Amino acid sequence: MRRSILLLLVLALAAGLVACGGGQEAATQAPAEEAAKPFRIAVVMPSAINDMAFSQSMYDALVKLQKEMGGPEKMEFVYSENMYVVDDAAAAIRDYASQGYDLVIAHGSQYGSSLQEIAPDFPETSFAWGTTVDTFKEQGIHNVFAYEARAEQGGYVNGVMAALLSKSGVIGVVGPIETGDAKLYIDGFKTGVLATNPDAQVNINYIGSFSDVALAAEAAKTHIEAGADVLTGTAQMVVGAIGVAKDNGVLWFGTQADQSSLAPEIVVANQVYDWTVALKPMVENIQKGVLGGEAYSLTLANGGLTIQYNPQFDLPEDVKAAAEQTIQGIIDGSIQVPVGGE
Amino acid sequence: MKTQWRERITDLFYPLAAASLAFVLGAVVLALLGVSPLDAYAALLKGAFGSRNAFAETLVKATPLLLVGLGICIAFRGQVINIGGEGQMIVGALLATALGLAFPDWPGWVMIPLAMLVAMFGGAVWGGIPGVLKAYYNVNEILSTIMMNAIAVQLMNYLLRGPMIDPVQAQRASQIPQTAALSAAYRLPRWVPTRLHLGALIAVVLALLVYFLLWRTGWGYRIRAVGYNPHASRYAGIPVKRYTVLALVLSGAFAGLAGMIQVYGVNYRMITDGSATGFTGGAGFNGIVAALLGQLHPLGTIPASVLFGALLVGANAMQRAVQVPSALVTALNGLVVVFVVSSEYFRRRAQKRRLLRATERAAAQAVREASPPRG
Repeated sequence: MRRSILLLLVLALAAGLVACGGGQEAATQAPAEEAAKPFRIAVVMPSAINDMAFSQSMYDALVKLQKEMGGPEKMEFVYSENMYVVDDAAAAIRDYASQGYDLVIAHGSQYGSSLQEIAPDFPETSFAWGTTVDTFKEQGIHNVFAYEARAEQGGYVNGVMAALLSKSGVIGVVGPIETGDAKLYIDGFKTGVLATNPDAQVNINYIGSFSDVALAAEAAKTHIEAGADVLTGTAQMVVGAIGVAKDNGVLWFGTQADQSSLAPEIVVANQVYDWTVALKPMVENIQKGVLGGEAYSLTLANGGLTIQYNPQFDLPEDVKAAAEQTIQGIIDGSIQVPVGGE
Repeated sequence: MKTQWRERITDLFYPLAAASLAFVLGAVVLALLGVSPLDAYAALLKGAFGSRNAFAETLVKATPLLLVGLGICIAFRGQVINIGGEGQMIVGALLATALGLAFPDWPGWVMIPLAMLVAMFGGAVWGGIPGVLKAYYNVNEILSTIMMNAIAVQLMNYLLRGPMIDPVQAQRASQIPQTAALSAAYRLPRWVPTRLHLGALIAVVLALLVYFLLWRTGWGYRIRAVGYNPHASRYAGIPVKRYTVLALVLSGAFAGLAGMIQVYGVNYRMITDGSATGFTGGAGFNGIVAALLGQLHPLGTIPASVLFGALLVGANAMQRAVQVPSALVTALNGLVVVFVVSSEYFRRRAQKRRLLRATERAAAQAVREASPPRG
């Protein structure tokens, strides 16, 4: 008997929670609508905003964009992180679109097929997805922007430096799945290494996961046992590999975000994405009434990609000079970085 | 009859109280993060039940949980632990997707039932292998089912990136591991404009069937008997080994069906991020929790799946509304799981005490009746 009373109490509490919550929400919503309307962006990301890689690069870009546009009064953004289950992401994208955001970003090429279904249902909303060049224009969809990072460019530069710094001539790469900007980066890296030292051996291992940190660590160990003295890798699971590199005093090249803080003594340089280069023209277009149809690329030439040297790492001058020369070569077109697949 | 109902309600009290406690703890964490727990939980409830579409999403999420959960009910009643739901879902989905893509021109009413059967077959094989290993070679099924998960993931990654990859993706640099889309005729009917599909109804009907199987048929009786006491069952002439295999085969079949339903009802193609959860959404594991929350009863698993589905959908909505880190969402789900599963211990203890008291009373009564009247 006492138990059923308790049960009733719990139920009553739960009901109260609904009632209170509902009332409070109604109260907070009203004043927000009265204020001038800021530009509203929502983003759905496959990993965490502090992943030191793909998702963080987008989060950092949005923070930067918000500052440049004049703070939260002019631009506000919300995000859903760790949406690695595609149909959860699809639900989130649809929900944001129905809430009337000006721009909904699906930050992951795996969200493409879902976006292709959702975008036509919200013709007034602008969507963006990456990394890709496909805006679905051919399918008659006009409210989708596309963005990509030409990660092979920075990959090539990192490869040149890796080849110059490696004493054993063996270089290890820890990749996730052979797809998207990960494939671009790794292809570019390998090309850069072999262009500098044709005798070098580049061991590439795609571990089959974007999130398995332990597996990335194992892959790094295997590379080191195979004689690698320089490692690189891409996607959010590389933190595991960086840890192993640090323990073994093996050099590391980062990409997507600045990973120097993870291991200041061994990270040489990072290719850093700055998505504002793609986001700014998107926002301008939307404000002009153009809701999609354009594709944007981050390159070394447009500043969307930058090579950031770790200031705490003592990089020999000649290596740095070679890197700078390579960057210039890619920018002026005298160095072409071929990529397989596309 | 009346006491039975009261017992049911007290049984229900434990998991519900445990879930509430988990939410109280979650509220403390939310408050520490500077988010009003009331706002957050209101967003959670609104995201799970607040509109027709929200409720439909909850049911879409609950469907694979229920299907996997039904299989878990069968396995656990037979005293075999099936942790292989993820792998069984994957294999079922792979077979069903391959079939649908290989024959794109059949009528939907032929393909859909056929794909269901094929998926159940795939899941049954994937569950049956650990079943045979346990029954005839005494291999621990907890280990073998988990290992079968790992094999299934690699199989999926190989197929979705190789032979079964979407031809469009194969040409692009992006190479997303996904198959081509199924023919429109093969899509499970939806309750437009929501994503709620026929699979939810199929799952509920199957829950009734599983109830019937377990409590109204000889097979079900023997599965349960083997679970209660294998030695006594063997003495009674039940082929214990065969029923151990059967429990895992059936359990796998339901998980395989869950995989097919996700493809034919939700995404219309198979897609992953290279991990098992990337395809299953963790339903192979969460189905276990739903079944435990439903007291391992097929009908109890229905509301339990809806509640757990609501938690998953609502927590994502909460993340969107109050912008809490996704780690908190995961932690909240984890808290509910830990609390609910451990409440089972307290429920069992209370049940034992209740039984003991009842036996004492009965014994006292018997003694009174047996003793000769005085005077």
